[in-house]
Amino acid sequence: MQLKEAEGLYHPYEVFVQYDHLAHHQHVGSVLAASPDIALQLARENFLRRDKAVNIWVVRKDHIHATPYDVPEFFANEFDKDYRRVDGYADNARRWKAFKQKALHIEDIVNDLEKGG
Amino acid sequence: MDSERLHEQFMERIRRGEKIEATDWMPDDYRKLLLKFIQMHGVSEIMGAFPEKEWVPKAPTLRRKLGIMSKVQDEMGHGQLLLRVAEELGAPLGVTREQLITDIFTGRTKFHNVFHMASPTWADAGVIGWLVDGAAIVSQAALLDTSYAPYARVLKRICAEESFHMQHGESIILSLAEGTQAQRQMLQDALNRWWDSLIFFFGPPEISESARRMMEYRIREKTNEELRQKFLSRYVPRIRSLGLTVPDPNLHFDESTGKWVYTQPDWEKFGRMVRDNTGPKSQERIALRRQAHEGQAWVREAMTRSTAVPVGV
Repeated sequence: MQLKEAEGLYHPYEVFVQYDHLAHHQHVGSVLAASPDIALQLARENFLRRDKAVNIWVVRKDHIHATPYDVPEFFANEFDKDYRRVDGYADNARRWKAFKQKALHIEDIVNDLEKGG
Repeated sequence: MDSERLHEQFMERIRRGEKIEATDWMPDDYRKLLLKFIQMHGVSEIMGAFPEKEWVPKAPTLRRKLGIMSKVQDEMGHGQLLLRVAEELGAPLGVTREQLITDIFTGRTKFHNVFHMASPTWADAGVIGWLVDGAAIVSQAALLDTSYAPYARVLKRICAEESFHMQHGESIILSLAEGTQAQRQMLQDALNRWWDSLIFFFGPPEISESARRMMEYRIREKTNEELRQKFLSRYVPRIRSLGLTVPDPNLHFDESTGKWVYTQPDWEKFGRMVRDNTGPKSQERIALRRQAHEGQAWVREAMTRSTAVPVGV
Protein backbone atom coordinates (compact mmCIF):
# COMPACT_ATOMS: atom_id res chain seq x y z
CA MET A 1 0.00 0.00 0.00
CA GLN A 2 1.16 3.50 -0.79
CA LEU A 3 1.16 6.01 2.01
CA LYS A 4 -0.83 8.19 -0.39
CA GLU A 5 -3.79 5.89 0.05
CA ALA A 6 -3.39 6.15 3.79
CA GLU A 7 -3.87 9.90 3.70
CA GLY A 8 -6.28 10.85 6.40
CA LEU A 9 -4.96 7.95 8.46
CA TYR A 10 -1.60 9.52 9.25
CA HIS A 11 -1.76 12.69 11.33
CA PRO A 12 0.74 15.21 12.62
CA TYR A 13 1.14 14.99 16.40
CA GLU A 14 2.76 17.80 18.37
CA VAL A 15 5.29 16.49 20.88
CA PHE A 16 5.75 17.77 24.44
CA VAL A 17 8.59 16.43 26.57
CA GLN A 18 8.80 16.65 30.36
CA TYR A 19 12.50 16.54 31.11
CA ASP A 20 12.11 16.16 34.86
CA HIS A 21 9.35 16.11 37.44
CA LEU A 22 9.93 19.72 38.44
CA ALA A 23 9.53 20.97 34.87
CA HIS A 24 6.43 21.50 32.76
CA HIS A 25 6.12 19.62 29.49
CA GLN A 26 7.88 21.53 26.76
CA HIS A 27 6.96 21.60 23.09
CA VAL A 28 9.84 20.24 21.01
CA GLY A 29 8.40 19.55 17.54
CA SER A 30 6.09 17.19 15.76
CA VAL A 31 5.90 13.72 14.19
CA LEU A 32 3.66 12.11 11.59
CA ALA A 33 1.99 8.93 12.83
CA ALA A 34 -0.98 6.67 12.31
CA SER A 35 -1.88 6.42 16.00
CA PRO A 36 -1.03 8.00 19.35
CA ASP A 37 1.02 5.00 20.50
CA ILE A 38 3.16 5.07 17.36
CA ALA A 39 3.47 8.85 17.76
CA LEU A 40 4.83 8.30 21.29
CA GLN A 41 7.42 5.81 20.01
CA LEU A 42 8.43 8.11 17.15
CA ALA A 43 8.66 11.06 19.54
CA ARG A 44 11.10 9.12 21.74
CA GLU A 45 13.21 8.13 18.71
CA ASN A 46 13.19 11.63 17.23
CA PHE A 47 13.64 13.79 20.29
CA LEU A 48 15.15 11.69 23.08
CA ARG A 49 18.13 9.94 21.52
CA ARG A 50 20.33 11.66 24.13
CA ASP A 51 18.38 13.73 26.63
CA LYS A 52 16.85 12.14 29.70
CA ALA A 53 13.13 12.66 30.27
CA VAL A 54 10.34 11.36 32.48
CA ASN A 55 7.29 11.80 30.28
CA ILE A 56 6.07 12.57 26.75
CA TRP A 57 2.74 13.93 25.59
CA VAL A 58 1.63 13.73 21.97
CA VAL A 59 -1.38 15.77 20.90
CA ARG A 60 -3.00 15.61 17.51
CA LYS A 61 -2.26 18.89 15.80
CA ASP A 62 -5.90 19.50 14.95
CA HIS A 63 -6.77 19.22 18.65
CA ILE A 64 -4.66 22.23 19.54
CA HIS A 65 -6.32 25.60 19.95
CA ALA A 66 -4.01 28.52 19.27
CA THR A 67 -4.06 32.29 19.01
CA PRO A 68 -3.49 33.67 15.52
CA TYR A 69 -0.08 35.19 14.79
CA ASP A 70 -1.57 38.12 12.93
CA VAL A 71 -3.46 39.58 15.91
CA PRO A 72 -0.61 41.05 17.96
CA GLU A 73 -3.16 43.13 19.93
CA PHE A 74 -3.96 39.94 21.82
CA PHE A 75 -0.55 40.21 23.49
CA ALA A 76 -0.48 43.98 23.70
CA ASN A 77 0.70 45.63 26.90
CA GLU A 78 -0.97 48.99 26.59
CA PHE A 79 0.97 50.71 29.30
CA ASP A 80 4.08 50.34 31.40
CA LYS A 81 3.58 47.44 33.79
CA ASP A 82 6.70 47.86 35.85
CA TYR A 83 4.56 47.93 39.01
CA ARG A 84 4.08 44.19 38.34
CA ARG A 85 7.79 43.48 38.05
CA VAL A 86 10.83 43.39 40.30
CA ASP A 87 12.55 46.15 38.32
CA GLY A 88 9.66 48.47 39.18
CA TYR A 89 10.95 48.53 42.77
CA ALA A 90 14.67 48.98 42.10
CA ASP A 91 14.73 52.03 44.40
CA ASN A 92 14.12 49.83 47.45
CA ALA A 93 17.83 49.03 47.66
CA ARG A 94 18.77 52.70 47.88
CA ARG A 95 16.05 53.39 50.43
CA TRP A 96 17.04 50.43 52.65
CA LYS A 97 20.56 51.82 52.67
CA ALA A 98 19.34 54.74 54.78
CA PHE A 99 18.24 52.14 57.35
CA LYS A 100 21.62 50.36 57.07
CA GLN A 101 20.05 47.33 55.37
CA LYS A 102 20.54 45.70 51.97
CA ALA A 103 17.81 44.87 49.45
CA LEU A 104 16.31 41.44 50.05
CA HIS A 105 15.54 39.13 47.13
CA ILE A 106 13.66 35.87 46.93
CA GLU A 107 16.89 34.05 46.01
CA ASP A 108 18.30 35.03 49.43
CA ILE A 109 15.38 33.30 51.16
CA VAL A 110 15.72 30.22 48.91
CA ASN A 111 19.45 30.11 49.72
CA ASP A 112 18.68 30.34 53.46
CA LEU A 113 16.37 27.35 53.18
CA GLU A 114 18.82 25.32 51.13
CA LYS A 115 21.43 25.77 53.84
CA GLY A 116 19.10 23.76 56.09
CA GLY A 117 19.71 23.75 59.82
CA MET B 1 -6.96 42.27 0.04
CA ASP B 2 -5.36 41.90 -3.39
CA SER B 3 -2.30 39.71 -3.70
CA GLU B 4 0.01 42.55 -4.70
CA ARG B 5 -0.78 44.34 -1.45
CA LEU B 6 -0.34 41.11 0.54
CA HIS B 7 2.97 40.50 -1.18
CA GLU B 8 4.19 44.00 -0.33
CA GLN B 9 3.15 43.56 3.32
CA PHE B 10 4.96 40.22 3.40
CA MET B 11 8.15 41.78 2.04
CA GLU B 12 7.89 44.53 4.66
CA ARG B 13 7.73 41.85 7.35
CA ILE B 14 10.80 40.16 5.86
CA ARG B 15 12.70 43.44 5.71
CA ARG B 16 11.83 44.15 9.35
CA GLY B 17 13.47 40.80 10.18
CA GLU B 18 10.19 39.20 11.27
CA LYS B 19 9.87 35.41 11.21
CA ILE B 20 7.24 33.64 9.11
CA GLU B 21 5.12 30.81 10.58
CA ALA B 22 3.49 27.94 8.67
CA THR B 23 0.01 29.43 9.13
CA ASP B 24 0.98 32.94 7.93
CA TRP B 25 0.14 34.19 4.46
CA MET B 26 3.15 33.81 2.16
CA PRO B 27 3.70 34.24 -1.58
CA ASP B 28 3.61 31.01 -3.60
CA ASP B 29 7.12 31.81 -4.78
CA TYR B 30 8.40 31.88 -1.17
CA ARG B 31 6.57 28.64 -0.36
CA LYS B 32 7.89 26.82 -3.45
CA LEU B 33 11.50 27.98 -3.04
CA LEU B 34 11.49 26.95 0.62
CA LEU B 35 9.79 23.64 -0.11
CA LYS B 36 12.36 22.69 -2.75
CA PHE B 37 15.24 23.80 -0.52
CA ILE B 38 14.03 22.02 2.65
CA GLN B 39 13.06 18.89 0.72
CA MET B 40 16.58 18.74 -0.73
CA HIS B 41 18.04 19.30 2.73
CA GLY B 42 15.86 16.56 4.26
CA VAL B 43 16.48 14.09 1.46
CA SER B 44 20.23 14.79 1.61
CA GLU B 45 20.20 13.95 5.34
CA ILE B 46 18.61 10.61 4.50
CA MET B 47 20.83 9.85 1.48
CA GLY B 48 23.79 11.15 3.52
CA ALA B 49 23.42 8.25 5.91
CA PHE B 50 24.20 5.74 3.14
CA PRO B 51 27.96 6.32 2.64
CA GLU B 52 28.44 6.04 6.41
CA LYS B 53 26.06 3.17 7.03
CA GLU B 54 28.28 1.09 4.76
CA TRP B 55 30.89 1.36 7.53
CA VAL B 56 28.66 0.27 10.43
CA PRO B 57 29.38 -3.47 9.94
CA LYS B 58 33.06 -2.81 9.20
CA ALA B 59 33.90 -0.27 11.94
CA PRO B 60 37.26 -1.15 13.56
CA THR B 61 36.09 -1.27 17.20
CA LEU B 62 32.81 -1.64 19.08
CA ARG B 63 32.98 1.97 20.26
CA ARG B 64 33.49 3.15 16.68
CA LYS B 65 30.59 0.98 15.56
CA LEU B 66 28.30 2.51 18.20
CA GLY B 67 29.50 6.01 17.35
CA ILE B 68 28.93 5.74 13.61
CA MET B 69 25.63 3.95 14.15
CA SER B 70 24.30 6.81 16.27
CA LYS B 71 25.42 9.25 13.62
CA VAL B 72 23.53 7.35 10.94
CA GLN B 73 20.49 7.38 13.22
CA ASP B 74 20.85 11.14 13.80
CA GLU B 75 20.97 11.81 10.05
CA MET B 76 17.78 9.81 9.52
CA GLY B 77 16.20 11.68 12.42
CA HIS B 78 17.20 15.03 10.90
CA GLY B 79 15.64 13.87 7.63
CA GLN B 80 12.37 13.16 9.45
CA LEU B 81 12.31 16.53 11.22
CA LEU B 82 13.00 18.37 7.96
CA LEU B 83 10.43 16.38 5.98
CA ARG B 84 7.83 17.32 8.62
CA VAL B 85 8.60 21.00 7.94
CA ALA B 86 8.48 20.40 4.17
CA GLU B 87 5.26 18.44 4.44
CA GLU B 88 3.50 21.27 6.24
CA LEU B 89 4.77 23.80 3.69
CA GLY B 90 3.71 21.60 0.79
CA ALA B 91 0.23 20.76 2.14
CA PRO B 92 -1.52 23.73 0.45
CA LEU B 93 0.11 22.59 -2.83
CA GLY B 94 -1.13 19.04 -2.36
CA VAL B 95 2.35 17.69 -1.58
CA THR B 96 2.42 14.65 0.74
CA ARG B 97 5.14 12.89 2.73
CA GLU B 98 4.88 10.00 0.29
CA GLN B 99 5.72 12.27 -2.61
CA LEU B 100 8.61 13.96 -0.78
CA ILE B 101 10.23 10.52 -0.51
CA THR B 102 9.32 9.01 -3.89
CA ASP B 103 10.70 12.16 -5.57
CA ILE B 104 14.11 10.62 -4.80
CA PHE B 105 13.42 7.62 -7.09
CA THR B 106 11.81 9.63 -9.84
CA GLY B 107 14.66 12.16 -9.81
CA ARG B 108 12.31 15.06 -9.05
CA THR B 109 14.41 16.05 -6.05
CA LYS B 110 18.19 16.13 -5.85
CA PHE B 111 20.57 15.35 -3.05
CA HIS B 112 24.01 16.78 -2.33
CA ASN B 113 26.87 15.75 -4.61
CA VAL B 114 28.93 14.34 -1.73
CA PHE B 115 26.40 11.57 -1.12
CA HIS B 116 26.78 10.22 -4.66
CA MET B 117 30.41 9.34 -3.97
CA ALA B 118 31.98 6.07 -2.81
CA SER B 119 33.51 5.62 0.65
CA PRO B 120 35.96 2.76 0.03
CA THR B 121 38.06 2.99 3.23
CA TRP B 122 37.61 3.71 6.94
CA ALA B 123 39.44 6.99 6.33
CA ASP B 124 36.62 7.98 3.96
CA ALA B 125 34.19 7.49 6.86
CA GLY B 126 36.50 9.75 8.89
CA VAL B 127 36.76 12.42 6.20
CA ILE B 128 32.97 12.38 5.75
CA GLY B 129 32.52 12.94 9.49
CA TRP B 130 35.20 15.60 9.63
CA LEU B 131 35.03 17.58 6.38
CA VAL B 132 31.72 16.70 4.72
CA ASP B 133 29.95 17.27 8.02
CA GLY B 134 32.13 20.33 8.56
CA ALA B 135 30.93 21.76 5.24
CA ALA B 136 27.33 20.84 6.08
CA ILE B 137 27.65 22.51 9.50
CA VAL B 138 28.93 25.73 7.91
CA SER B 139 25.92 25.82 5.57
CA GLN B 140 23.40 24.86 8.24
CA ALA B 141 24.73 27.27 10.85
CA ALA B 142 24.39 30.03 8.23
CA LEU B 143 20.66 29.25 8.05
CA LEU B 144 19.92 29.48 11.80
CA ASP B 145 18.49 32.98 11.33
CA THR B 146 16.36 32.02 8.31
CA SER B 147 13.09 33.91 7.87
CA TYR B 148 11.00 30.70 8.06
CA ALA B 149 10.58 30.03 11.79
CA PRO B 150 9.65 26.29 11.68
CA TYR B 151 12.83 25.64 9.66
CA ALA B 152 14.93 27.74 12.07
CA ARG B 153 13.61 25.79 15.08
CA VAL B 154 14.45 22.44 13.50
CA LEU B 155 17.89 23.69 12.42
CA LYS B 156 18.64 24.66 16.00
CA ARG B 157 18.05 21.07 17.11
CA ILE B 158 20.01 19.68 14.16
CA CYS B 159 23.01 21.93 14.86
CA ALA B 160 23.03 20.84 18.50
CA GLU B 161 23.45 17.23 17.36
CA GLU B 162 25.97 18.19 14.70
CA SER B 163 28.28 19.30 17.50
CA PHE B 164 28.55 15.60 18.38
CA HIS B 165 29.17 14.74 14.71
CA MET B 166 32.04 17.22 14.60
CA GLN B 167 33.79 15.59 17.55
CA HIS B 168 33.04 12.12 16.21
CA GLY B 169 34.61 12.84 12.80
CA GLU B 170 37.65 14.53 14.34
CA SER B 171 38.19 11.61 16.68
CA ILE B 172 38.37 9.17 13.73
CA ILE B 173 40.77 11.24 11.63
CA LEU B 174 42.95 12.08 14.66
CA SER B 175 43.41 8.36 15.35
CA LEU B 176 44.48 7.86 11.74
CA ALA B 177 46.75 10.92 11.78
CA GLU B 178 48.42 9.69 14.99
CA GLY B 179 48.79 6.20 13.50
CA THR B 180 51.17 4.31 11.23
CA GLN B 181 52.48 5.48 7.88
CA ALA B 182 49.86 3.28 6.19
CA GLN B 183 47.05 4.89 8.22
CA ARG B 184 48.30 8.39 7.42
CA GLN B 185 48.49 7.48 3.75
CA MET B 186 44.94 6.12 3.88
CA LEU B 187 43.83 9.49 5.32
CA GLN B 188 45.70 11.43 2.63
CA ASP B 189 44.15 9.25 -0.10
CA ALA B 190 40.68 9.85 1.30
CA LEU B 191 41.30 13.60 1.40
CA ASN B 192 42.44 13.45 -2.25
CA ARG B 193 39.25 11.61 -3.17
CA TRP B 194 36.95 14.09 -1.38
CA TRP B 195 38.54 17.47 -2.06
CA ASP B 196 36.84 18.38 -5.35
CA SER B 197 33.49 17.20 -4.04
CA LEU B 198 33.94 19.39 -0.95
CA ILE B 199 34.65 22.47 -3.04
CA PHE B 200 31.65 21.67 -5.26
CA PHE B 201 29.41 21.09 -2.21
CA PHE B 202 28.82 24.82 -1.66
CA GLY B 203 27.67 25.32 -5.25
CA PRO B 204 28.86 27.59 -8.04
CA PRO B 205 30.30 31.02 -7.18
CA GLU B 206 27.75 32.82 -9.39
CA ILE B 207 24.55 33.77 -7.63
CA SER B 208 21.72 31.89 -9.34
CA GLU B 209 18.30 33.42 -9.83
CA SER B 210 16.74 31.21 -7.16
CA ALA B 211 19.59 31.95 -4.72
CA ARG B 212 19.06 35.67 -5.32
CA ARG B 213 15.35 35.32 -4.54
CA MET B 214 16.06 33.25 -1.45
CA MET B 215 18.36 36.01 -0.22
CA GLU B 216 15.70 38.62 -0.92
CA TYR B 217 13.28 36.57 1.20
CA ARG B 218 16.00 36.12 3.82
CA ILE B 219 15.58 32.36 3.58
CA ARG B 220 19.37 32.39 3.38
CA GLU B 221 21.70 35.34 3.84
CA LYS B 222 25.11 34.13 2.69
CA THR B 223 26.24 33.32 -0.85
CA ASN B 224 27.78 29.99 -1.88
CA GLU B 225 31.16 31.65 -2.19
CA GLU B 226 30.98 33.28 1.27
CA LEU B 227 30.26 29.86 2.81
CA ARG B 228 33.05 28.16 0.86
CA GLN B 229 35.50 30.85 2.02
CA LYS B 230 34.45 30.36 5.66
CA PHE B 231 34.94 26.61 5.27
CA LEU B 232 38.41 27.03 3.77
CA SER B 233 39.51 29.49 6.47
CA ARG B 234 38.37 27.14 9.19
CA TYR B 235 39.55 23.82 7.79
CA VAL B 236 42.62 24.33 5.56
CA PRO B 237 44.89 25.24 8.50
CA ARG B 238 43.66 22.18 10.43
CA ILE B 239 44.25 19.88 7.44
CA ARG B 240 47.77 21.26 7.04
CA SER B 241 48.62 21.06 10.73
CA LEU B 242 48.07 17.29 10.54
CA GLY B 243 50.80 17.17 7.88
CA LEU B 244 48.27 16.41 5.14
CA THR B 245 48.47 17.99 1.70
CA VAL B 246 45.45 19.62 0.16
CA PRO B 247 45.35 18.18 -3.37
CA ASP B 248 45.17 21.57 -5.04
CA PRO B 249 48.53 23.16 -5.95
CA ASN B 250 46.80 26.50 -6.60
CA LEU B 251 45.18 26.74 -3.17
CA HIS B 252 46.40 29.80 -1.26
CA PHE B 253 45.10 32.70 0.76
CA ASP B 254 45.38 35.94 -1.17
CA GLU B 255 46.28 38.58 1.42
CA SER B 256 45.37 41.44 -0.91
CA THR B 257 41.77 40.28 -1.47
CA GLY B 258 41.42 38.47 1.85
CA LYS B 259 40.13 35.45 -0.04
CA TRP B 260 41.15 31.88 -0.74
CA VAL B 261 42.13 31.12 -4.31
CA TYR B 262 41.39 27.54 -5.39
CA THR B 263 41.16 25.47 -8.55
CA GLN B 264 37.59 25.37 -9.82
CA PRO B 265 36.17 21.84 -9.68
CA ASP B 266 34.58 20.45 -12.83
CA TRP B 267 31.23 22.22 -12.29
CA GLU B 268 29.74 20.62 -15.39
CA LYS B 269 30.70 17.07 -14.44
CA PHE B 270 29.51 17.28 -10.81
CA GLY B 271 26.40 19.21 -11.84
CA ARG B 272 25.43 16.49 -14.28
CA MET B 273 26.05 13.84 -11.65
CA VAL B 274 23.61 15.49 -9.21
CA ARG B 275 21.05 16.32 -11.90
CA ASP B 276 21.00 12.89 -13.54
CA ASN B 277 21.99 10.75 -10.53
CA THR B 278 24.99 9.38 -12.40
CA GLY B 279 27.60 9.47 -9.62
CA PRO B 280 29.59 6.34 -8.74
CA LYS B 281 27.07 5.33 -6.06
CA SER B 282 23.91 7.25 -7.04
CA GLN B 283 21.92 4.39 -8.54
CA GLU B 284 22.95 1.81 -5.94
CA ARG B 285 21.90 4.06 -3.04
CA ILE B 286 18.67 5.18 -4.70
CA ALA B 287 17.82 1.51 -5.30
CA LEU B 288 18.43 0.78 -1.61
CA ARG B 289 16.21 3.69 -0.60
CA ARG B 290 13.46 2.50 -2.92
CA GLN B 291 13.78 -1.02 -1.57
CA ALA B 292 13.46 0.29 2.00
CA HIS B 293 10.45 2.41 1.10
CA GLU B 294 8.59 -0.23 -0.86
CA GLY B 295 9.68 -3.18 1.26
CA GLN B 296 8.38 -1.49 4.40
CA ALA B 297 5.06 -0.38 2.91
CA TRP B 298 3.33 -3.19 4.81
CA VAL B 299 4.64 -1.75 8.10
CA ARG B 300 3.16 1.64 7.31
CA GLU B 301 -0.09 -0.05 6.44
CA ALA B 302 -0.07 -2.15 9.61
CA MET B 303 0.47 1.00 11.65
CA THR B 304 -2.76 2.49 10.36
CA ARG B 305 -4.54 -0.45 11.97
CA SER B 306 -2.84 -0.15 15.34
CA THR B 307 -5.07 1.03 18.14
CA ALA B 308 -4.23 3.58 20.75
CA VAL B 309 -2.77 1.52 23.58
CA PRO B 310 -0.75 3.52 26.07
CA VAL B 311 2.89 2.47 26.25
CA GLY B 312 3.73 0.07 29.02
CA VAL B 313 0.25 -1.49 29.16
